[in-house]
Amino acid sequence: MTVTPFSVRRRRYSAVLIALLALVAAANLLLSITLHRTAIVSGWVLFSLVVLLTAYNVRKRISFLPLGSSATWLQVHVFFGLLSIAVFAMHIGWRVPNGYLEIGLAAVYLTVAVSGVMGLAISRIFPRRLSERGEEVFFARIPRVLHRIQVAVEREVLACLREGESAAIPEFYSEELRLFFEGHRHFWQHMIRSRRGEQQLLRKMDAYGRYLNDQEKHTIETIKEYVRVKCDLDFHFSHQLILKIWLFIHVPLSYALVAMAIFHIMLVYAFAGAVY
Amino acid sequence: MTTDPDVRRKTQADVAFDEAMDGATIDELVAAPAFETLDATYRESAGFRKTLGAHARVVDFEAGDIVVREGDWGNSAFFILSGKIAVEIEPPESGMPPEMLGRRRDQPKSLLQALLQLFTNHRFPEFRGRFSFAGSKSKVRKRGTGSTTRIYLQDVAAVLDRYAHAFLEPGQFFGEIAALGRTRRTATLFATETSRLIEIRWQGLRDIMRRDAGIQALIDQRFRERSLRAFLEASPMFAHLREGHEEALSELANGVELKVFGDYGRAQSFRKMADDAVAGDLSGEHLIAREGDYANEIVIIRGGLARVSHRFHNGERTASYLGPGQEFGLNEIVAGYRSSQGTPLQHSLRAMGFLMAVVVPAHLVEKYILKHPDSPWHSSTQSEARNRTIAAYQEVDQGFVEFLVGNRFVNGTATMLIDMDRCTRCDDCVRACAASHDNNPRFLRNGPIENGIMVANACMHCRDPICMIECPTGAISRKLDDGEVAINDGSCIGCGSCSKNCPYDAIRMVEIRDSKGLFLQDRSVASRTPITKATKCDLCVEQKGGPACQRACPHDAMIRLDMSDVETLAQWHNQ
Repeated sequence: MTVTPFSVRRRRYSAVLIALLALVAAANLLLSITLHRTAIVSGWVLFSLVVLLTAYNVRKRISFLPLGSSATWLQVHVFFGLLSIAVFAMHIGWRVPNGYLEIGLAAVYLTVAVSGVMGLAISRIFPRRLSERGEEVFFARIPRVLHRIQVAVEREVLACLREGESAAIPEFYSEELRLFFEGHRHFWQHMIRSRRGEQQLLRKMDAYGRYLNDQEKHTIETIKEYVRVKCDLDFHFSHQLILKIWLFIHVPLSYALVAMAIFHIMLVYAFAGAVY
Repeated sequence: MTTDPDVRRKTQADVAFDEAMDGATIDELVAAPAFETLDATYRESAGFRKTLGAHARVVDFEAGDIVVREGDWGNSAFFILSGKIAVEIEPPESGMPPEMLGRRRDQPKSLLQALLQLFTNHRFPEFRGRFSFAGSKSKVRKRGTGSTTRIYLQDVAAVLDRYAHAFLEPGQFFGEIAALGRTRRTATLFATETSRLIEIRWQGLRDIMRRDAGIQALIDQRFRERSLRAFLEASPMFAHLREGHEEALSELANGVELKVFGDYGRAQSFRKMADDAVAGDLSGEHLIAREGDYANEIVIIRGGLARVSHRFHNGERTASYLGPGQEFGLNEIVAGYRSSQGTPLQHSLRAMGFLMAVVVPAHLVEKYILKHPDSPWHSSTQSEARNRTIAAYQEVDQGFVEFLVGNRFVNGTATMLIDMDRCTRCDDCVRACAASHDNNPRFLRNGPIENGIMVANACMHCRDPICMIECPTGAISRKLDDGEVAINDGSCIGCGSCSKNCPYDAIRMVEIRDSKGLFLQDRSVASRTPITKATKCDLCVEQKGGPACQRACPHDAMIRLDMSDVETLAQWHNQ
């Protein structure tokens, strides 16, 4: 078995994309010189591309059929998606379309295209971030693990009360930590890989140490470990959430785009009269 | 400390092969003609009685009962007390069909059948039709319960008529080579009439061989006659002797030595040894050859895995590993021969758990490999394949190599590796697997991670599959052409032996459901426990296009890899 390096594959697909772009641009130029309605040709090419791009989602649903690997489909999806942006620009004549349906159609197309490009970017960036920090946890299990951490921390806090110590740690927990342990925190900070929230909390705990005896200091150190683990889990949660939800924008809008495009084509032919 | 007087450490007698084995039965066995060839003093000794008590059991077979199947992995040998046992002597391709022996015949679905899955896949996970439980319409004939369940042939006379067989009579024994070498059975044997056999675990056989030189010589002779020649012929080093060199092969077969190293290797001992090895402690691995020693023999692996390493500061650095058919020491002997000076071994060789090897002394290597005019080594100086493998290992991160070898993931022929730097955790692989298998995935996207690569809890289709050893019905078996390890759902009785024995947590017991989605319960017991089946990755043998998981990964993060293909591993690791 031979494995093709990603860089080689990327170069090959890029070469094909450039060739196709040149072909589409040349065809567009040729048609415009010969006074053909370029919008009809570019429109059908664009519609075909959009249908092909949407078919990838169908392929994913029938994985047991021998329809080629999903990775190959994704590569084709990405490069044809980029090609479709150029064809789209030619189709609308590099201007903002007029008419409510056309504006709506263009807006949906652009949302799908932008979400696709963003999705591709996060699909390449986020996995590396996830494997660099914390332990691997299934997305669906994160809430359960977070709950276990919260219970463990509360057990530590309650133990302070039972041992007849001062209420220093329970008070600190209730004022500074309870909310932190109760849910997902610092979502946007994690997105930009900022540890500001975590550091602030740890600094507060360090500063609070001067009011604690040795036993309580030991407890606060234990809780600090839980804070770190919890921050790692929040990091995983926020990244895995984004990795999952971008498809909830991209995929349904793709189907909406196909439906709107069909309506658009019907209108074009219905009102074209004797032009075509 | 407990004061309970009943608490004590378990002894061999507590974990006997057959707990019902009593003194009277042992007396009967000692007197049996099956052991007439043993030395009389040893036969009467307490040691022999103890061995029988701990490692033997008496098994009765009805006419048609299959005793062992070709291709299954054995850990016991059989001595015939009474009755008659037939040995199939047809070649596998014209022998009894797999269904008759309780095996799956795997054929990929046609395009139409594949398409129909869209509509025929059941909405509940692990739905089974009536063929999956007793009283069903299964073609597989079974009798007995639990670990004593066995498959039988319905019409013995017709089978004997149709396929060529030889017969074994009382006093004869069989199955010892597969048991001692932990290799596959080379033939199917079944009872042609009511028969009584003594089944002895490999440990018992080993004890008897140690104390009785006669039986050791007999087994050794049978091994040389039946297996060793075929093994040597199959070895690439002796490929030039395959045709027209009968005498040379005979001399080789008589001159080589068969050696067994290390422990037989159950899941528990495996885990500890693997943990120690990953931490750099190789004391649990039996040293076969030491770096720097004079090379006076080559070691050819017959069964098991071996680590090739060399000294690095105060530890051992793994250079590669060897599996069945691979050799160690030839490079050094070749170099020594060419330079006329003794060349020390460049690496050490250690048995990773159980290992069976054929050791060829240097004078035979010189005669049949280096000096033989037809040998490709006559003009060559280096083992190209070995050097390529070692070079490929150097391309892979050393920590990752130690992790793979230490945990024996190198045992896999289809190990699932996931590059966590590319995996978006989309679970398309899991969904694809579920869609192809009763709506329930056959693996977990979970497992140890090293250097950003996860070895997922998916069946690796091991070269040395210890999961198969204790299956009472042979439901878990390996395709004869070194293919995947598969479970025949129709023969699986849900005992869980395979699941317990798999050290990689790759086999899961699942509760099966009926068409309404309700768990099927065993109505023969008062507790009505759910009926379970063992499930694991089958590499989508029924699906066109190969494993659905790998095909479903959009980001090329996953690969199913034969770990002996180190060059592909290096390419994938560095892509």
